[in-house]
Amino acid sequence: MNLPLYKEMMRVNLKGIMNYAFGSAFYILFMIWLYPGIAGSTQAIDDLIKAMPEGVGKAFGLNSGFTSAEAFISGEYYGLILVLILSIVCVQMSTQLMARLVDRGSMAYLLIAPTTRRKVATTQALVLTTALLLIMGVTTLAGLLGKAWFLGSEFEFNSGRFVQLNTVAFLLFFAVGGLTFLISSVCNDEKKALGISGAITFGFFTLDLLGKISDKLEGLRYLTLFSFYQPGKIVQGNVEIVQVSSWLLLIGILAFAIGIELFRRRDLPL
Amino acid sequence: MKYPISNSSLFCSGGGGMLVVEGLTKRFSNGKGIEDVTFTVNKGEVFGFLGPNGAGKSTTIRHIMGFMLPDQGYASIHGLDVWKAQGTVQKHIGYLPGEINFFDGMTGISFLKFMSGMQGMRNTTKRDHLIERLQFDAATPIRKMSKGMKQKVGIVAAFMHNPEVIILDEPTSGLDPLMQKVFIDLVLEEKAAGTTFLMSSHSFQEIERTCDRAAIIKDGRIITVKNIHELQSMQRKLFEVVFANREDAEQFAASGLQVEAHEGNMVRIAVQGNYDRFIQETGKYNIRSMDVFTQNLEDIFMDYYDREGAVQ
Repeated sequence: MNLPLYKEMMRVNLKGIMNYAFGSAFYILFMIWLYPGIAGSTQAIDDLIKAMPEGVGKAFGLNSGFTSAEAFISGEYYGLILVLILSIVCVQMSTQLMARLVDRGSMAYLLIAPTTRRKVATTQALVLTTALLLIMGVTTLAGLLGKAWFLGSEFEFNSGRFVQLNTVAFLLFFAVGGLTFLISSVCNDEKKALGISGAITFGFFTLDLLGKISDKLEGLRYLTLFSFYQPGKIVQGNVEIVQVSSWLLLIGILAFAIGIELFRRRDLPL
Repeated sequence: MKYPISNSSLFCSGGGGMLVVEGLTKRFSNGKGIEDVTFTVNKGEVFGFLGPNGAGKSTTIRHIMGFMLPDQGYASIHGLDVWKAQGTVQKHIGYLPGEINFFDGMTGISFLKFMSGMQGMRNTTKRDHLIERLQFDAATPIRKMSKGMKQKVGIVAAFMHNPEVIILDEPTSGLDPLMQKVFIDLVLEEKAAGTTFLMSSHSFQEIERTCDRAAIIKDGRIITVKNIHELQSMQRKLFEVVFANREDAEQFAASGLQVEAHEGNMVRIAVQGNYDRFIQETGKYNIRSMDVFTQNLEDIFMDYYDREGAVQ
């Protein structure tokens, strides 16, 4: 870890990170604010969803029902929007933090200072992790505040499960970020890194979606990290949180470590 | 391929040099690369690294900077292997890349402050002094800077932490003649203070003004390492002399000097080292005008190969 580099990278990226974080926070506050209005008619909405093809409801995690606020949010927000936001953050930032600097040549300036490649890459990995942590932290905080402001004690909201949901979401993107970082670490070309890591991330997402929509394609879900993340089931309490979290953490750490090690050994066209 | 070794210069006397490149070999998949590149730069010496574009200068420098791992051989600075001693060896090095690319959204001074932080520098006197000397507005955002201005920022970044070895890749490209002179003075001052330089260039003039010795590289191999006087004597110059009258021109052309062209009153002479003889001959006649053309590096190489070919 190199402190001046970390500070500089955070300075450059903080604005973008906070844009995503506050965007996410406002969205979730909005959802919570909306909930009391529809809470009375959850039965009707549940019926509506049941009337849809089963696969669609499953794919977007709508089947968890709207009987509690966290179930509503998990379906509406954690099933799709948040996943898209964090996927974009992972793909974009990991490319900017490694491949772009190599592609543009400015990586040379980091490596001519008395530091090692391992430290530079580790610092960049930490910047990405900090970004995910900030976005998820602000989102969680907004959720908890929203509960206090808009829901009070009238409506059901299981804060424990909500925090679990956020933890798994963070760890999922820690793992995805690890993979995109790995790709970015071995690419000399910014566009190539962006293309490959984008294809992998959104490919994962698509495989998960297809697997959920059709039982015949269920097997596809073994090929994607996103199957570790099932927001609907988490809020119902039907997920082995520790096990899932450990797997995601392990995959993430491994991917970052491999990325850093490959970067340390490779030839750089600087 | 056997390459000639000028024994006066390739092997330095005394203990190991400040910068040692030994048997450096790297082959790329496209068949290019460098082959057995070996030279030593002594402390306080300015060493030129000459060669046409694509000859392997940048590849060699990338190895010296530890950006690439050689297939064979090594480079060391201050006795430290540049690949293995990553993290400590950089303290001794200042580097000016051939193509300068800074980070997004920085001004000149914020970049230099960032680099000072990365270098762990406390004292900024030298940095400020250099900015003043190179005369640029460090508060300008980098994306608005001209090439020459970026080059100046790069020069400050390479010199400001008082490194023992400074590696410069095409340092004066983009600088106007006045700044080129300032830059050369700067190099000579640092040299007097004991700093060691490696300076790559494809321009003979740039090397001529500062370097003690130079290596010439072509197609990935070092062709020769010579001191600068030897190199100067290798360089052929063409003098175009216009005489006041035609008979003089004819007499001059017949004087035994190497005549490249002869048209009416004009005679073009190639001179290589034997300036005295040329001056004596021209002194005999009434001269109307004289022009000089220096040979570019490419032509010097061609001459060099030709002569080597003739000897073998």
